[in-house]
Parts: sequence; C-alpha cells; structure tokens
Amino acid sequence: MAFRPSFRRTTAGEDIEPNLTPVMNLMVVLIPLLLSSAQWIKIGVIELNLPPAVGTKTVVGAAPKETEKKLDLAVTITDRGFYLSSSQAILKSSENNGPTIPNLADGSYDYDALANKLLEIKQSATGRYSDTERIVIQAEPDINYQVLVSTMDSSRKIVVDGREVILFPDVSLAAGVI
Amino acid sequence: MAFIPSRIKKHDTNPGKVKLNLTSMMDMFTIILVFLLKTYSTEGMLIQPSEYLTLPKSNIEQSPEVALDLVISKEWIMVNHEPVIKTAEVEQLNSFIIPSLQEKLNVYAREAKRMEELYGTKFSGKVTIQGDRSIAYKLLVKVMATCGKSSYPNMRLVVYRIGD
Repeated sequence: MAFRPSFRRTTAGEDIEPNLTPVMNLMVVLIPLLLSSAQWIKIGVIELNLPPAVGTKTVVGAAPKETEKKLDLAVTITDRGFYLSSSQAILKSSENNGPTIPNLADGSYDYDALANKLLEIKQSATGRYSDTERIVIQAEPDINYQVLVSTMDSSRKIVVDGREVILFPDVSLAAGVI
Repeated sequence: MAFIPSRIKKHDTNPGKVKLNLTSMMDMFTIILVFLLKTYSTEGMLIQPSEYLTLPKSNIEQSPEVALDLVISKEWIMVNHEPVIKTAEVEQLNSFIIPSLQEKLNVYAREAKRMEELYGTKFSGKVTIQGDRSIAYKLLVKVMATCGKSSYPNMRLVVYRIGD
C-alpha cells in the first residue's frame, strides 16, 4: 500500500526565489552602456547637389534644353508670403499683386496652403511636362534659414488622407545678382 | 505606557532571513532596457552638431553621412571646427564667392584628392553645412556658391529631424 503523502509537506511549500544577482549585474552594466550610446536627437540632411563648376552668378544648374516642355516651377519666398511661378505664368492671388500664398494673419508663413497649391500643380502637370520633380526656390536676401528649410519640407511631400504624396523633391536654390 | 512585547516575540532571537525584494526593481530595469535598445542606433553620431548654433527643424528622413564639416554660426564660419571668416564680414561682401573660405576649401579638396590618388579613398565633393536657423538666405547662398566653386558641389544641409 502506498503511503499517503503527508499534509505537512504539501502545505508548507517553501518560497523558492531565483537568484537575481547575475541578472542585476548584467542590467547595471548594460543600462549605462546603452544610455551613453543612445542618440537623443535625430539628425537628418537635405541633399542639394549642384552640377560641378557652376557659373559665378547662378547657383542653379545649366540652361534647360528646349527640346522638351518644361514646367520650371519656382517658389519665391518674400516677407509677405510665397509667390509661385512657372514657365507658363505667375500665379495670382485673390488680391491684386499680392503673393500667391499670403502670410497668415499673425505674420507666419502658410506652409499648408503652399503644399496644397503645389499638390494641385503637381496633379495637373504630371504627364504634360518633363520636370515634375524639380522646383527652384528663391528668397529675399533676409529670409530666415528655418523658413527656407520649412518651405523645402512643404514642397517635398504632402500627406493626403494618411498617404504620402511626393511633390517636388528635387530642389535648387536661386539667387539674384549682387 | 510602553508597549509590552508579546510573550512569543520576547524570546524570538532569530527573526529569520530578511530578503530584499528585487522584483519591482527588475521590472523597472527591464522596461528601461527595452526602451534603450529601441532607441539604440548602430550608426552612432556621424555628425556632431556644433554647440554654437541651433539647427533648423525638418521632416526629412534622410540620414547623415560623413563629409567635410562646414558650420555657419551667428559669429563665425568654420570648416572642420577651425574659424575661417566672421559671418558679419561675409554679409558685407559684394560677391557670391567668399575668398578666404574658397581658399580653405581648396586646401581640403587638394588634400582629399591626394588621398584619393594615394589610398583610393574616393573624393565625392560632399560637404555638410550646419547653419544656425536664424541666418539669412543671402549668407547661405554665398556659402553654397563658394562650395560649388571649390570642388564641393554636393551639399547637405544638416537639420534636426522631427515627426517620425
């Protein structure tokens, strides 16, 4: 006959704790290591490639070939807003002689409106022109660098209904003659 | 009136092993570890942002690469951490080409081309431009024009990535 297991054995179950010391040691080493090598700020770059050996007076590349129909889209940043122009026309705003996209009431630039306008242009220009990736950005001499970068951002892509639409990622900068 | 210990406790000389409860600490460490592993980047910092300026913010996703380092702060224009010319002087300048900067860039370009001949490290004409977010467009254009004329036509504007 088998022995009945003793009640005392089963009820007085001893607490078995795993030895956590080696794990703790590992953590203590790993966490400072990862902390010191963590990248807290993310850095990106905007690529701007010039054709080598450009002329003195222009920052934009070589003269366009006339064989294809070019859009030559350009955004001009002024302190009153954005002017949009192409080889076909300069886009007028609702006001006479005002910028195509005037600044908002508080004086800040209307990047959303710019992106939406560029989306419109992109959609109507695709297929009809050969340079629907390129855009020339020019600015008044005293325009802030951040404004320039934000303008590039709005002209690069737009998010429509959660989908990214590429607009004009190939940016060239232009400047007037001093 | 003082507290009288119970009869049992009075003679309890061996209170048993006092254990440190490490479970909550382990939980915390595990969370921190996972978080740090997630933010860990194998690339490391290829570009050390200069301490003299605040970079502009952008939503671009392109990652930086190693290249000649050009800094435009509010005070100085620096190439590889060496001051070259004062920003204020450049603003006074009446041409697109900044002579002292061009000279400096040509020195680096010559050096890089010599390296290309000797060791085969390709000279790609890449330069990363770190500009303070408040610098004026005319200043940036002058620096970029000078880079283009000094065999560094492939420019990268360094920005803080936001959003993603």
